[in-house]
Amino acid sequence: MSIVIADEPRTAPPPPEPAVPVRNYLNNNYSVWSWLLTTDHKRIGILYLVSLTLFFTVGGIAAGMVRLNLLSPSGAILTEDQYNRMFTAHGVVMLFLFLIPSIPAVMGNFFIPMMIGAKDLAFPKLNLASWYVFMIGAGFAVWAVLAGGIDTGWTLYPPYSSRYSHTNVTPGVFGVFITGFSSIMTGLNIMVTIHKMRCPGMTWGRMPLFCWALYATSFIQLLGTPVVAITLTLLMVERVAGVGIFDPTIGGDPLLFQHLFWFYSHPAVYIMIVPGMGVVSEIITCFSRKNIFGYKAVAWSSVGIAVVGFLVWSHHMFVAGISYYSAILFSFLTMLVAVPSAIKVFNWTATLYRGSITFQAPMLFTLAFLVLFTVGGVTGVFLATLGTDIHLHDTYFVVAHFHFVMVGGMVLAYMAALHFWWPKMTGRMYSDFWSRASATIIFVGFFLTFVPQFVLGYHGMPRRYPNYPQEFQVYNVLSTAGASVLGFGYLLPGVYLTLSLFFGKKASANPWSATGLEWQTPSPPTLHNFDATPVVVCGPYEYAIAVDQMGRGLPEPPGPGSAGDPASHFGPTGPCGPIYKETEVVG
Amino acid sequence: MSKPDHNKPDDPPTMHDVDKPATLFAVYLVVLGLAVANIMLSVAGLHNLALPVQLGIGTVQAVLVAWYWMHLRRGDQVVTLSAVTSLFFVFIFYVLVLSDVLTRWRGGL
Amino acid sequence: MSASTHSPVLKHHFDNLEQQHSAERLGMWMFLATEVLFFSGLFVAYTVYRYLYPADFEFASSHLILWIAGLNTGLLITSSLTMTFAIRAAQLGDRPALLRHLLATAALGSAFMGFKAYEYATDVEEKYVPGPMFQAEYDRAVEELTHAPKDHAESHPHNPAWDLAARNLGKTYGDPGFISPQRVQLFLCFYYVMTGIHGIHILVGIGCILWLVQQTYAGKIPPENYSTVEVVSLYWHLVDMIWLFLMPLLYLAGAGMKSH
Repeated sequence: MSIVIADEPRTAPPPPEPAVPVRNYLNNNYSVWSWLLTTDHKRIGILYLVSLTLFFTVGGIAAGMVRLNLLSPSGAILTEDQYNRMFTAHGVVMLFLFLIPSIPAVMGNFFIPMMIGAKDLAFPKLNLASWYVFMIGAGFAVWAVLAGGIDTGWTLYPPYSSRYSHTNVTPGVFGVFITGFSSIMTGLNIMVTIHKMRCPGMTWGRMPLFCWALYATSFIQLLGTPVVAITLTLLMVERVAGVGIFDPTIGGDPLLFQHLFWFYSHPAVYIMIVPGMGVVSEIITCFSRKNIFGYKAVAWSSVGIAVVGFLVWSHHMFVAGISYYSAILFSFLTMLVAVPSAIKVFNWTATLYRGSITFQAPMLFTLAFLVLFTVGGVTGVFLATLGTDIHLHDTYFVVAHFHFVMVGGMVLAYMAALHFWWPKMTGRMYSDFWSRASATIIFVGFFLTFVPQFVLGYHGMPRRYPNYPQEFQVYNVLSTAGASVLGFGYLLPGVYLTLSLFFGKKASANPWSATGLEWQTPSPPTLHNFDATPVVVCGPYEYAIAVDQMGRGLPEPPGPGSAGDPASHFGPTGPCGPIYKETEVVG
Repeated sequence: MSKPDHNKPDDPPTMHDVDKPATLFAVYLVVLGLAVANIMLSVAGLHNLALPVQLGIGTVQAVLVAWYWMHLRRGDQVVTLSAVTSLFFVFIFYVLVLSDVLTRWRGGL
Repeated sequence: MSASTHSPVLKHHFDNLEQQHSAERLGMWMFLATEVLFFSGLFVAYTVYRYLYPADFEFASSHLILWIAGLNTGLLITSSLTMTFAIRAAQLGDRPALLRHLLATAALGSAFMGFKAYEYATDVEEKYVPGPMFQAEYDRAVEELTHAPKDHAESHPHNPAWDLAARNLGKTYGDPGFISPQRVQLFLCFYYVMTGIHGIHILVGIGCILWLVQQTYAGKIPPENYSTVEVVSLYWHLVDMIWLFLMPLLYLAGAGMKSH
């Protein structure tokens, strides 16, 4: 249904600011055990946040070492063995210990129950167990990559990994295997919660798109992760027993490992990106003060990505020796996944159209996501195309594509989510200036790091090589320079977010004037999220009529210099007078 | 949508939900009988039919167990959906892996 | 949500028991979906190799101990029956019957594992283990059979490696009817990994059932909380169902070979 609403005085008054409760989830109990034995989904989200920040730092340092080494054509600081271990450490830590748990485990744990009006996730103890399982697995993996290292690359292909590598493959694989269970637990919890715990009135069509995205993610986690678990088990058996089903000397097929591995690990990149898309849907509506364009399309495209994502894995194996026929089939199927991704990008862009956009840090990160994800997605089509992939396979083009999607997409979405929900999680506002500066620096640094890698890859520099011909040096130096800018950009939030905990302005319940249920409780939230079970009466993004999901008015949205800046007043005016908003009402 | 009714009192299970022993025993005898039949037929030699017959019997047994003993017949839609979804993805897994393995002898890159 | 209707087994974050039970059931079913995918990795790999090496797999399968497989199948199906009766007893609030059925299930599962252990021990004794053990025995058998007179066979050990060597005598790789000892080992990898992982699942299941026994003793399974028993039973049935596929794939693949 499409309605046109003039910007008249709003009818629904904003609710009074909820009284700040004496007890919230943070100050209820300060003891260490109250954190380590908590079953509160909010505290578990914070536990994950702290752990993931640590692993992100470890993975980031490894990335820095790799980039530093590539400054010189013959390797600047590392031996070739050390280099192999370093890029493996970067891959294993960033993928399995940061990207996969990132938004589902931190933001999903924290906000899914609040967004659907529940008191907790369906299985709180399982949720806590997932964190412990994650930490045990992560402990193994980090120990393996730091003490001695693994030199197989994160993809762990046999027979190198099973027979020839003399590094810590077994403990590393065991660690990854264990963290997989944590991923399954989180996914299962979120999925059951969304099915069974929605508050009255929260129909599927009124659920925030973040919940849809996390639902699709959990779907992949549940169906994909067990396959990599059995694959890694078989790999460990083969390595420990000296005989196994991927062993070519007894008739085993190493390509079968790749099939089994990528059956999970390709959908796993959608575990990483789809939650980011959910975040973007939340933020882009809020900061352009508009309803989402095409709610159903965006919601179902998440599910579409989750399903189609399972059909495309063999594009990682085009030049590995699979049959022509299979390769053609997978090339076609891979291109299909561009359809739901493009649906999302077009809908977000249409959401921006004629919105009253403000550029706070969450929105800056989100806009950066839009640009970088689109570049990453489009270059993915080059790799899906069988002919071009033969040229580009295993070059820096792949590295650049992957980082555009994973860093430009997912990490920026994670940063956006962190900045968007930080006031709710901690009750404090961070520095407006420094957060915008950080978003800008990260965006610039990112481009400088990875655009040269597209050029390098196109000219044939293979990935994972410590050495390269002299004429590639200029691009490598550019890329390393960009990585330093990027690293600086990542350090800034570490500083100003930490400072905000102590010196930040107290955040109101709804500092961004957003519509979701999570903003209807005080910041930081009370112990059981809501004093009374909320009742939902309308869709998730009714910014056009300025009501939240409970049908109450929204407070004044923030703007840069809300006093005096005509563009930031509610009721946007264009050159020709008041702007009319065309919008879609859902739910 | 099978949303739980929030006003429903916390009743103990009604007799409707409790299995009849006769049903359970009947299923038991059929499943056990199929297992015996499977072994006897295989030992007698099924030649080319061995794999389809053996897996067919296994499927019938699994369906009986799921339907009667795992109460799929009383499960809500989402439960049925998760069961069917897992099988669907196993199917995809088979088809796409075999698309490579069965045609690889014709050549590849 | 008035406090008066609250049962002691209702957890704080659920509105009512109906919601709690359906969440628990759904959670377990979703976990079972992951289990199905977990085993499907093995089944897919098995399918690929069975397609590539049918004769070798059938030969290897024919030397597994069929009577143990048959007996174990019966034990598992019976244990599933007693588990279902345990749900019934829990629903009816019949504690002695609940305990009886749970213990029977655990006992049947343990018997399954006992026979499994006996089978593994026999296999190891016959050197029917992939890797150097089988290969060395096979090489020794080939060596001795090549140099021994033809009518000397009954004095040799009767184990799969010797059977294979006798069968392959005079043939080399690529000849029709030649069974590759390496691919027999490939089958054995599947045999040990599949039954091993299945056995671990049985052990976990027995653990869960014993936990239920303890909960029942402690009086924590009143009729309105029967879903706890049901959730464990779902897992137990799935492990049973997986066995119903493992059994034909591993033990029955070569069962017809002896009749030829």
